[in-house]
Amino acid sequence: MAAKPLEGRAYVVTGSGRGIGREVALLIGELGGKVVVNDPGVNLDGSGADEGPAAEVVKEITSKGGQAVANMDTVATAEGGEGMIKQCMDEFGSLDGVIHVAGILRDRMIFNMAEQEWDDVVAVHLTGFFNVVKPASIIMRQARAGRIIGFSSGSGMNGNTGQGNYGAAKAGISGGVRCAARDLGRYGVTANAICPGAATRMTQSVPDSARDLRARAGITARPSREPSIVNQLRDAKYVAPMVVYLLTDQAWNINGKVFYVSGGNVSLAHEETPYRTIAKPDMWDIDELRALVPSQLMGGLANPAPPPADLDLPARPVAKAEA
Amino acid sequence: MGALDGKVAVVTGSGRGIGRGIAMLFAKEGAKVVVNDPGVNVDGSGGDAGPAQEVVNEIKAAGGEATANTDSVAEAAGGENMVKQAVDAYGRIDVLVNVAGILRDRMIFNMAQEEWDAVIAVHLKGHYNTIKPAAVLMRQQRNGRIINFSSTSGIIGNTGQFNYGAAKSAIAGLTRVVAKDLGRYGVTCNAIAPGAATRMTQSVPDSARQLRSQAGISGAASNAQQAPASAFAGLREPEFVAPMVGYLATDDAWNINGYIFNVAGGTVSVAHHPTAMRTVFKPGLWTMPELDDAVQSILMKDINNPAPPRDDVEVSGRDIPARPLA
Repeated sequence: MAAKPLEGRAYVVTGSGRGIGREVALLIGELGGKVVVNDPGVNLDGSGADEGPAAEVVKEITSKGGQAVANMDTVATAEGGEGMIKQCMDEFGSLDGVIHVAGILRDRMIFNMAEQEWDDVVAVHLTGFFNVVKPASIIMRQARAGRIIGFSSGSGMNGNTGQGNYGAAKAGISGGVRCAARDLGRYGVTANAICPGAATRMTQSVPDSARDLRARAGITARPSREPSIVNQLRDAKYVAPMVVYLLTDQAWNINGKVFYVSGGNVSLAHEETPYRTIAKPDMWDIDELRALVPSQLMGGLANPAPPPADLDLPARPVAKAEA
Repeated sequence: MGALDGKVAVVTGSGRGIGRGIAMLFAKEGAKVVVNDPGVNVDGSGGDAGPAQEVVNEIKAAGGEATANTDSVAEAAGGENMVKQAVDAYGRIDVLVNVAGILRDRMIFNMAQEEWDAVIAVHLKGHYNTIKPAAVLMRQQRNGRIINFSSTSGIIGNTGQFNYGAAKSAIAGLTRVVAKDLGRYGVTCNAIAPGAATRMTQSVPDSARQLRSQAGISGAASNAQQAPASAFAGLREPEFVAPMVGYLATDDAWNINGYIFNVAGGTVSVAHHPTAMRTVFKPGLWTMPELDDAVQSILMKDINNPAPPRDDVEVSGRDIPARPLA
């Protein structure tokens, strides 16, 4: 493998002023690629703007002899998406990949979530993905080459409390990747998704108290804070190598997949194919399903957030209080 | 005694197709149903109060209880209205079934902004718009069922459906989050990825399916590939999707939460969670050559590209020899 496998290629990395996006942009620069460092420098909730973060990453790349330009467009609008793709073509003459890392958070339990909180998160993550993939796909299809990488999340793939907007948008990116992979694969273009794990500005915004509450309610296990070799590798830089590997020629035939990347762990996600099946060559009636579903289809499959024991539910077996 | 006696349900998009089958079965099993359908065309255009009213008439003629609603799920006010109508007419809401959907198929490189927006608005925002107000009430009453509609187009992938697939996969993600937000309050949230011959699937031309199959692109269910070769494959009527939805709405299903079910004909499957299937690990930062070895020989070994590049496309890297297992 060449020492600089991305030599002469050009990439757009959204949200690369900070965190994981920044590490991806830096590694692309280090491996010879040219980068449009996109970041409007907003706060975590999408408010504000600051050209500092993108400019600083550009400076870091160019100071090491790499090529990069800053872009402040927002991915939440079609014009913004087109603007950064166009800038890549104008500055570097090609578009070899687009990596959509940009994202914001507006966590809220679904029963309290305001419409604006839903709209803002879906606009940046999911419509933002469409906004860059659409113009990029035209160029990549014509070039018969290209890489699309979306950032999904375990929050959408496995579900996380208080993130109906974020989890939906992130799972949507996985779906978009699987469809783009099928639309563009025959043209030599690949599309894949990363579900990252890292300690960033974004994850720091989730209070430890929320994690503890969740764990006490039996909803999700609290991540261990015990020092282990795995838990130590939480720096955002650990996510970058797999992202960048997917940009190389070696990865030409990896398409339509979702990867979990965190620390030194790289996993391929299981496709959401049928896991267990019951079948009948006719229409089921509800009584038949009543008999078969709990034992055959769902046996051993847990409820991720079971109702508390003192909640009265009509069909729940009554616990034997006394012997 | 019906399995859903006394329950009140809102079923979006129930003027036709799968939604209609669900509304009819729910009513037959004793539920009172708000039959929501603005009666639009498959692409979301137009509007017709007829389909919802006809389903209501059919339910009433069979001795059931139902009321028609023609609000659009694409508006927050529409979602609130149909939940409010259930409460006004029947005093509560026990079950929300989100079936409403439209199609605007287009290859990603040709997809217009409006085609993206319209599909996301009806499917994805439409789910938020009904779930939000229903969740407020269901949490308060410490009981409820939310049943969403996802699709293999999203959770597996399909050509020409970047908008629809993204929305449907997002609905699977939303389902998993809502399950965790509401489970502790006695509310469950699950999703169905249905298979059926409906007005919507008829809108996908057979020529498109044949093209896909000729190009070696694997995707969601294709009619051409699913020629009725067995007693199971012939069962494509939308009514067959309803019983599993009905079961999930019963009290018995109180502990089934956060799952995606494939339902087509007489086949009911629970979908695999997208958990880690294979893992490579290094206690440090990977280098490119290390990743190349680990990914090619372990992580992606024998994993297919669902749409490999055509033979006549010059692909940088295609000539790199496959390596042996590390």
